[in-house]
Amino acid sequence: MKHITNLHIDIQKILPSIPKMGGFVMFTGIVRDTNEGKTVTHLEYEAYSELADKMISTIIEETKEKWELQYVNCVHRLGNLNVGDIAVIVTTGSMHRDEAYKANRYIIDRVKHDVPIWKKEYYIDGSSEWSKGCVHETEQS
Amino acid sequence: MKVEILYFAALKDFFPPKEMVEIDPNVSVSQLKSFLCNQNPNASKIINVSRVSINQNISKENEIIPENAIIAILPPSSGG
Repeated sequence: MKHITNLHIDIQKILPSIPKMGGFVMFTGIVRDTNEGKTVTHLEYEAYSELADKMISTIIEETKEKWELQYVNCVHRLGNLNVGDIAVIVTTGSMHRDEAYKANRYIIDRVKHDVPIWKKEYYIDGSSEWSKGCVHETEQS
Repeated sequence: MKVEILYFAALKDFFPPKEMVEIDPNVSVSQLKSFLCNQNPNASKIINVSRVSINQNISKENEIIPENAIIAILPPSSGG
């Protein structure tokens, strides 16, 4: 599997060296310590991994048809993540910045909205809850 | 006929992670969802907003489930 991992995502190793690439955009989704007013201690991510990996590949292929990119990747982490850990990374590179920015935004929106990945939030009071899903964060273009 | 059903996220509070289920032939995705809602009414709210995949492809509501299919009930995504 290329796009789904149980391992720590290391941002240091991702910047590719491609002579035609003039702009590189990296989005990182990071575990934050609050959600809807509650203090979050950690998260658990689960996926239907086989389908999630396939769908991210398809999203990347569709993105490459929309914008000319020199580089594109997306990796989503699973398992238990602490505050500050990277949950997802989307990287896009193009000759000029515009395509890289637009493609990057398009991929993260599609991944959050369409790909079968779920998070359970654990709160400081010991309670936990599965997130209701992506209903208010996506602007589909 | 037999199918295998996988459940994820909040649905695992109501169903096992996977189970073999006996269903009638020519059952559609939406009929399967109603069947599961009847089996576990407390889960209906989530099942009704879930997508369903058949053999790792997202299905349409009127799609007929083939024999030996691996079905997954997918609550709204919350990755990222």
